[in-house]
Amino acid sequence: MIEFENHIRLDDIRRIAIGKRLKIPLFSSYVSAGFPNSSEHYITKVCDLNDLCIANEDATYFVRVRGDSMSGDRIDDGDFLIVDSSQEPSEDKIVVVILNGEHAVKRIHYVGEMVVLESSNPKYLPIYIHPGDDFRVFGVVTRILVKPV
Amino acid sequence: MVGIGDCNNFYVSCIRSFNPKLIGQPVIVLSNNDKCVVARSNEAKALGIRMGQPLFQLKRKVSDYNVQVFSSNYELFGDMSRRVFNTIGRFMEHTFPYSIDELFFSASGYESIYGSHADMARMMIKTVDQWTRIPVSIGIGETMTLAKVANRHAKKHPEYQGVFVMDNPELRESILAEFPVGDLWGIGRQYEVLLKQNGIRTALELSRLPHDWIKQFMTVEGLRLVYELQGIQCRDLDTEPLHKKSICVAPSFGRKVWSYGTLCEALATYLARASEKLRRHSSAAGVVTVFIHTNRFDKVGPHHSASQSITLPHPSSSTMELLQYAEPVLKSIYKTGYDYQEVGLILNEIVPEGHQQQLLYSDTPNPRQAQLSQVVDKLNGKYGRDKIRLGLQGYDKSWKMKQDHLPPSYTTKWSDIIEVR
Repeated sequence: MIEFENHIRLDDIRRIAIGKRLKIPLFSSYVSAGFPNSSEHYITKVCDLNDLCIANEDATYFVRVRGDSMSGDRIDDGDFLIVDSSQEPSEDKIVVVILNGEHAVKRIHYVGEMVVLESSNPKYLPIYIHPGDDFRVFGVVTRILVKPV
Repeated sequence: MVGIGDCNNFYVSCIRSFNPKLIGQPVIVLSNNDKCVVARSNEAKALGIRMGQPLFQLKRKVSDYNVQVFSSNYELFGDMSRRVFNTIGRFMEHTFPYSIDELFFSASGYESIYGSHADMARMMIKTVDQWTRIPVSIGIGETMTLAKVANRHAKKHPEYQGVFVMDNPELRESILAEFPVGDLWGIGRQYEVLLKQNGIRTALELSRLPHDWIKQFMTVEGLRLVYELQGIQCRDLDTEPLHKKSICVAPSFGRKVWSYGTLCEALATYLARASEKLRRHSSAAGVVTVFIHTNRFDKVGPHHSASQSITLPHPSSSTMELLQYAEPVLKSIYKTGYDYQEVGLILNEIVPEGHQQQLLYSDTPNPRQAQLSQVVDKLNGKYGRDKIRLGLQGYDKSWKMKQDHLPPSYTTKWSDIIEVR
């Protein structure tokens, strides 16, 4: 049972708690095979991926990944990211940044006055951003869309 | 108090939002068929590139200064406009889109929530910047006209960081005393010349002219303007004269609407209104944007919103012709199973009807349709609105227009989204 609970990420709990819509289909996605399927007759509408993946549509953008710098976070070449510009880019989040006019996906850390952008592939060195550098956060990565190989 | 949010160099900013390399560079955006300049970055303005200047005159400048040239992409502009307006709409209840890049809002009663009007405006600008990377200036004043004045003042003076609130008579007078009369909303070339001949150079001088004189030489519209400058509200959005750039019709439904047929009827009705307005002002539109959305504040129920634009082969003011293009657009964004709160349309690239440039198009408007529209307008004027209305028609998309520098549809096409490393 404890293992099962570990699979529920904090994010998911918050999303359900908002209670926007369709709790039941969301719940059903955690139901394992063999569970008595009594929830079926509660489902009146089709699940919409937008409901699951997009909290704030006015601030949400899709981006495509190039390269392997974030392979340690299961973000690979050709994957799609859902990015929410309204979310706080807090410590240790995976974010899309604009650095010297280029977009990049990195994990963000705050060290004193400095921002450190970390790749999750050891091939790549961390990038140190100093105050005054041409840098801004585009948004926080909220979902990764992966095509199975 | 009335506020207006105005996106700075909107079309340029839309492209920069996804292509930050262009920040700090001279950028221009061209009108349909890549003919002339419709938007300029500040750097392009500094090079002396004028609004409306034809591209062929700029060949030299473009290569000498490496000016970045883009075609208009109304898919991108329309979607970013929707995002900016929705974001501003989170702050207050009553907003009125006025053009693709301008949004009026009623600002009274919000001071206490946000601290002050200026604090509210700053928070709006910050949020829009974070969510869309589009720079916005906000002006707040006692009337729509004064909000516009305040906005322009904010834009002219970078030290205000995009916010100017004109909330007392002394401040108002001091600003109007510096404000060139020709820059006022509703003062065209002719009035500007007339006023200058009479020694009137500033908005303050105009606001102090005798009412009889104004009425005689500038009609009742001029008088309204003068009242508005004095802080007395006369303008309200429904009766506004046409803005040069675009026109937007999107009243919310009184009830929720789910059927395509009803949405279509609504769209056709709004389009009839909008094209009537076009004809009244002897104008024609070159681009139609249609959008629909559910009530995003509704806690229950799924949400859907979408917008899509289409460029006409030639500018038109005929209801029939415009609907021919708008209806398939609605069809393409409509999804079943949602309770829609709003369907709306924006007409863009508005030009004076019979504008010389139209002759350059190979495909010209059908004069008989224009005549028909006039007859319909007359009859409807006599017998009541919408007495004569249209059925819906198909359309022919075999035309293509010149767009050699089309910026990607970053938010509306999967093939065009940005890439990250």
